[in-house]
Amino acid sequence: MKKTTELKKSFVAAAQVVGAEVIDCKNLQEAVAYLAEQVDGPLLCPSFASGERAGLAEKLVAAGVTLVAEDFRQQAPHAKWGVTGVNFAMADTGSLALESTAEDIRLATTLPEIHFALLDPEKILADSLDAVEPMRQLHQRDPRNYIAYITGPSRTADIERVLTIGVHGPKQLHILLVPKLSSDPLEM
Amino acid sequence: MNKQRNKDYRQRIDQALATPKLQDALHKFGDAYLVSRGNAFANYDFEAMRSEISAMKTDVRENHAALLQQFISNAEAAGATVYLAKTAEDANNYIAELAKQKGAKLAVKSKSMASEETHLNVALEKAGTRALETDLGEWIIQLAGQRPSHMVMPAIHMFKEDVAELFSKQTGQQEKAEIKHLVEVARQQLRQGYLDAEIGITGANIAVAETGGIALVTNEGNARLASTLPKVHVVLVGIEKLVPTLEDATKVIRILPKNATGQPLTSYVTWIRGAVPCAGEEKELHIVLLDNGRSTLAESPHCQDALNCIRCGACANVCPVYQTVGGHVFGHIYIGAIGIILTAFYHGLENAAEIVRACIGCRSCVAICPSKIDLEEIILSLRETIGEEEGIGTGKDIVFRKVMRNRKLFHGLLRAASVMQKPVTRGERSIRHLPLFFSSLTEWRTLPAVADKPLRDLILQQPQKVAKPRYRVAFFGGCANDFLYPELGLDLVTVMNALDVEVYYPLEQNCCGVPALYSGDKETAIELAKQNIDAMLEGNPDFVLTTCPTCTMALQRDFVEHLKDNPAWAAKAEALAEITVDAAGFIVNQLGAAELFKELATAEKVTYHDSCHLKRGAGVWKEPRQLIETSGFELVEMDHADRCCGFGGSYSLTSHPDIAKMILKDKLNDIAESGASCVAMDCPGCMMQIRGGLEKQGSGVRAQHTIELLAEALKNQT
Ligand code: SF4
Ligand code: SF4
Repeated sequence: MKKTTELKKSFVAAAQVVGAEVIDCKNLQEAVAYLAEQVDGPLLCPSFASGERAGLAEKLVAAGVTLVAEDFRQQAPHAKWGVTGVNFAMADTGSLALESTAEDIRLATTLPEIHFALLDPEKILADSLDAVEPMRQLHQRDPRNYIAYITGPSRTADIERVLTIGVHGPKQLHILLVPKLSSDPLEM
Repeated sequence: MNKQRNKDYRQRIDQALATPKLQDALHKFGDAYLVSRGNAFANYDFEAMRSEISAMKTDVRENHAALLQQFISNAEAAGATVYLAKTAEDANNYIAELAKQKGAKLAVKSKSMASEETHLNVALEKAGTRALETDLGEWIIQLAGQRPSHMVMPAIHMFKEDVAELFSKQTGQQEKAEIKHLVEVARQQLRQGYLDAEIGITGANIAVAETGGIALVTNEGNARLASTLPKVHVVLVGIEKLVPTLEDATKVIRILPKNATGQPLTSYVTWIRGAVPCAGEEKELHIVLLDNGRSTLAESPHCQDALNCIRCGACANVCPVYQTVGGHVFGHIYIGAIGIILTAFYHGLENAAEIVRACIGCRSCVAICPSKIDLEEIILSLRETIGEEEGIGTGKDIVFRKVMRNRKLFHGLLRAASVMQKPVTRGERSIRHLPLFFSSLTEWRTLPAVADKPLRDLILQQPQKVAKPRYRVAFFGGCANDFLYPELGLDLVTVMNALDVEVYYPLEQNCCGVPALYSGDKETAIELAKQNIDAMLEGNPDFVLTTCPTCTMALQRDFVEHLKDNPAWAAKAEALAEITVDAAGFIVNQLGAAELFKELATAEKVTYHDSCHLKRGAGVWKEPRQLIETSGFELVEMDHADRCCGFGGSYSLTSHPDIAKMILKDKLNDIAESGASCVAMDCPGCMMQIRGGLEKQGSGVRAQHTIELLAEALKNQT
């Protein structure tokens, strides 16, 4: 438990340094309320295991959020918001790992301006070397993979080396810490 | 030497030197980079990490065929089509053919140096496919019709005003020169490209044999879009990017962004294995493995380590030559130290012939390389190859082969010079102006006059009173100490005697051979190594002392390297290397005698300049500082204390005086800003450069060797 608290602390600090918003939620309901407050139009909500189990989509709809749940290729280019789960996180760099082989996950995390990621703090690992184990398991489980490590919003320093946020990917990354969502790094 | 080529090259240098804005930007970047890099590595052991990377990459090189096979079968099993391209042309043809087959009008690209290497865009254009660069820097360069001037930050030589102009042409309206706005323009302009393109082309930072997958390390998110939206994904990757396992890949990813830009990690690391889902079907994934000279490089015993490079670009970030002239001069497609080497193998020796001489040999790149590549040594060996192919110039040829190898003739000529220079020295110790076509040599620094009497004559006359010597040491003076600064040698004797060490000067010693080596004449260097080994070992000294770190490196490292395969000489070279040590290091480490000088000096503000070969060659930098401080001087650190002063021997005299002059200017500024009235150093070459620059400026700051300062302190003893 103590370890989780410490890892959470350093994860939050590192994620904030790279420009991510971190929101500590007591439960899924709080996260849903946050999303309902932030989102003001169609939200890309691809299917992922922990979200399905917890009834995320239903809860969002109940809270008045308009969801895009299919036909992502058509919808995603116009959507401003996307929400996904997270497989696991890495404390030292404040990074998220998303098993994104399902195309909808990729579309929901690359095209919109704002990406919300729901992370169970139990899934925070110390660093990328600790992440090798679940990475290998993912590679063993699935024959093909598209796995993304995401650290903060999209950025560039290509003009006069001035750090500028939001080039081609999301301009904002909101990490919602939601306990009891999933403790399995192999599932999102 | 190719005259036209050389002329074009000189013109590029002139152009770069006439752009102070560029130098300013690169200097600022260099400074900021070191700060962020320091923070990024604060909790890590860089030396341990880079030893691991180096060992792993060396292993990969040695087991390359098996690992490549493993990668290919795993990738194919996951649905990828793998093509092994022998040459750049093969790679381009394959990709262009694919584009034709798909009837592709547009291909979106994320940043790939390999595609710059093969000039892929041109090949695609010919096949009727427009290639759209989506990395912001690459897009800017593409709009400007230029090539990248840095491997990680391709448009680092451009300013927001230039970018605004290019973007305005693109959008047809006036875009303001404000960075945030320009980034937004790029986002808007390029978005549709991902949706329209039939093909997405990326490079890869890593290819993992264990999985058959690749990893992309990026910040902007364009590689994610380019590998997701189009139905076809082409990965163009050099065969040296292979690593065995996911652990190894992780270790590369851990060090790469930290060392590249001082970022703990990039925004995105994307791991892709196989043909993933795409619009309800399977993506068509093609992996083009590019050889194009890499196998040849692997076969070159002197250069093969260059294949360990992970393309972080740091060797350019810290390079004083790069900071002075930028990547359009100091590079071809690949730039900086690694660029020189890769150019020779991937784009032909001809394209590397000029830039291989542009390196001043300061070893900053070696110290920062995360793969622990001795870039400077490889560059030297390439210079030698080019020297053999193209000749090193007749003038140099005669000096090295006919004169230097014959010690008596060489020293005789130096003695004659001491007499002949009288009209220009007017009896002074330094030459302020030279007549006629030599005049440019003394435009920005004075030159030391050849001494009336060389050290080898004077030292014999200096009586040594050491009753019970702790050691008997042989002194290797080196040309500068012997013929330009004999007083330095005499000071060394004084200091050593005070420490109960007896000094003798073997008269058969000759030039250390570095000038010949740096000019690409290894044969002369080897001949000189032999002469010196015999000369220095003859009297059976306890140690061989040096006051010039370039000589130290020659005796400690180069002689051993030159002669390691020569059974008659290898052991002798080793024996000499074993007992050779620089004077400051000797006092602190071997004698443990810094305390002898305690508080002897009159308090004076002294700043210290690290000589490249002392700090990054011999690993000595704490010792002289300890001596200066203990002896009672007030040590104040200047900024960039370990940045090269721009001497580099013939570099500043004949090959690149214009660049050397700029590097010196930076050093003089740092010295002035330190507020010290004396700058100390441990190298006669640096003394010549810095003292010459200070004199020419009319500065009141004096430039002294640490040993001179100690001798000065000793005078206060009684
Ligand atoms: S040795 Fe110095 S001058 Fe030469 S490439 Fe390396 S950093 Fe640049
Ligand atoms: S040679 Fe070393 S420092 Fe230069 S780019 Fe390659 S890895 Fe980086």
